[in-house]
Amino acid sequence: MGEVTAPMGGKVIDIKVKPGDTVNEGDEVVIIEAMKMELPIVANESGTVKEVKCNVGDAVEADAVLLVLE
Amino acid sequence: MDIEEKIRELERRNREAELGGGEDRIAKQHAKGKMTARERIDYLLDKGSFQEIDKFVVHQCYDFGMEKKKIPGDGVVTGYGTIDGRLVFVFSQDFTVFGGSLSGAFGQKVCKIMDLALKNRAPVIGLNDSGGARIQEGVVSLGAYGEIFRRNVWSSGVIPQISVIMGPCAGGAVYSPALTDFIIMVKKTSNMFITGPQVIKAVTHEEVTPEELGGAMTHNTKSGVAHFAEDDDKAALDRVKDLLRYLPQNYLEKPPAVECTDDPNRTDPELNKVVPTNPRIPYDIKVIIQSVLDNNHFLEVHKHYAQNMVVGFGRLNGQVVGVVANQPRVLAGCLDIDASIKCARFVRTCDCFNIPLVTFVDVPGFLPGVGQEHGGIIKHGSKVIFAYCEATVPKVTVITRKAYGGAYDVMSSKHHGGDINYAYPTAEIAVMGPEGAVNIVFRKEIEASEDPEATRERLIEEYRRNFASPFKAAELGYIDQIIFPENTRPRLIHALTMLQNKHETIPPRRHGNIPL
Repeated sequence: MGEVTAPMGGKVIDIKVKPGDTVNEGDEVVIIEAMKMELPIVANESGTVKEVKCNVGDAVEADAVLLVLE
Repeated sequence: MDIEEKIRELERRNREAELGGGEDRIAKQHAKGKMTARERIDYLLDKGSFQEIDKFVVHQCYDFGMEKKKIPGDGVVTGYGTIDGRLVFVFSQDFTVFGGSLSGAFGQKVCKIMDLALKNRAPVIGLNDSGGARIQEGVVSLGAYGEIFRRNVWSSGVIPQISVIMGPCAGGAVYSPALTDFIIMVKKTSNMFITGPQVIKAVTHEEVTPEELGGAMTHNTKSGVAHFAEDDDKAALDRVKDLLRYLPQNYLEKPPAVECTDDPNRTDPELNKVVPTNPRIPYDIKVIIQSVLDNNHFLEVHKHYAQNMVVGFGRLNGQVVGVVANQPRVLAGCLDIDASIKCARFVRTCDCFNIPLVTFVDVPGFLPGVGQEHGGIIKHGSKVIFAYCEATVPKVTVITRKAYGGAYDVMSSKHHGGDINYAYPTAEIAVMGPEGAVNIVFRKEIEASEDPEATRERLIEEYRRNFASPFKAAELGYIDQIIFPENTRPRLIHALTMLQNKHETIPPRRHGNIPL
């Protein structure tokens, strides 16, 4: 089971997947705004989205879990 | 004994030595997907070029009954040969002999070829596959390691030293590779650590597998100790050959040039569209890097570590260059501790071996955070400054977009010895971003105005137009030319051609004191 985490603190501005979606390693799954940029967060492994642990608009810290994959 | 018998005896001994620890152990090695020490040398070096040294050396240990068990070669195959016709010295540790463990004799063999390499100014390639110190040898094995480490240091920056980790590499054994220029690890079958899982469990009660603790991907991502992670032995050895093509034999030579089969005047109109005018949108800096290099070929180094910084080798007009670039797609291209270390190390490696530097800059600043501050970003960031200022190889810089604050200075600026500094029209060279600057400089005006938000927005727009551009820097001569992105390749080649005989020295001293 893999976790997709925030690489740095920022604000979630877009979530591109929902539970049940299949993702491949390297797919963009979440967009975070940090350092005044819109940064793509990619899946670190292939799998199915089990849980989305954030909402659009949330402020997240570095290493916060955004998605759980299986 | 007549001459025939003597020759047959020699041939018998040669065959015996070549079997190392015997057929069974060779089979075990193969079963794990690993090549033997001799197979690796055979694959790495030009066919028929290997001249072995010390084939019949045996250990001199008389404790623990060791005198009854001697194997010619004593666990390491050493000698010299050629790769692509170039002289290299090589040692290949033999896991089939006493687990590849290091004895006094083994150490002496390795030191002999390291001494030869240094005297003859040619690279050393170390193929590591060893259980570590041979316990029965006691302190002798520690002394042997020490002698090897000293030679690594004395050779550092004189001749290229490349380490390939192709099996276990634990305890003191890891320090030799750690002191070399590049470390290549084979996935799944190799690992490096100072203390292994059993000792860690006994002392700190942490449970960890050898692969998690010090496998190829751990060292390529978390620690940054290793620069490459390859799928198997052959891929790892191929990587050695790749790297050598970009390195000279020693610090007195220039890296090997090749005939250029890619038009040096090639422009790429696509590059005009790569950098978004909206500074919030990231892009992949490797698109620019690959476009400008000869035949679009970029050998990325340290690919998996600190991905907010990209480093690697390529060619421009047939000449080797070292490329450094911020990666806007990762951590917004910020400089943090790991990226600073990765950058500084690569810059210094290039400077050791006369490799010119091409730096692409798009950096909004250093990564804020308590973790960074407590982790010593002050020290680590200053390593980048030290590396660039100390480097006397040609340095060409291209600011593609942001260059804010201290990060502007740090990334190969004119002030730090950039020889030719270019900027794209999309460059934003400023002391800080418009929002931050306006909030400070115009704080009173904004507070006093009737509609602070509108005033702030207007002032931000004005600041963006006047200062978040390359023109102020160009007016000051901090930027030599503002260029069209499509012309990046020819511009770089013109600059590097002009700089090919660059000669610069820094004030004499025993050696600088780089913050560590």
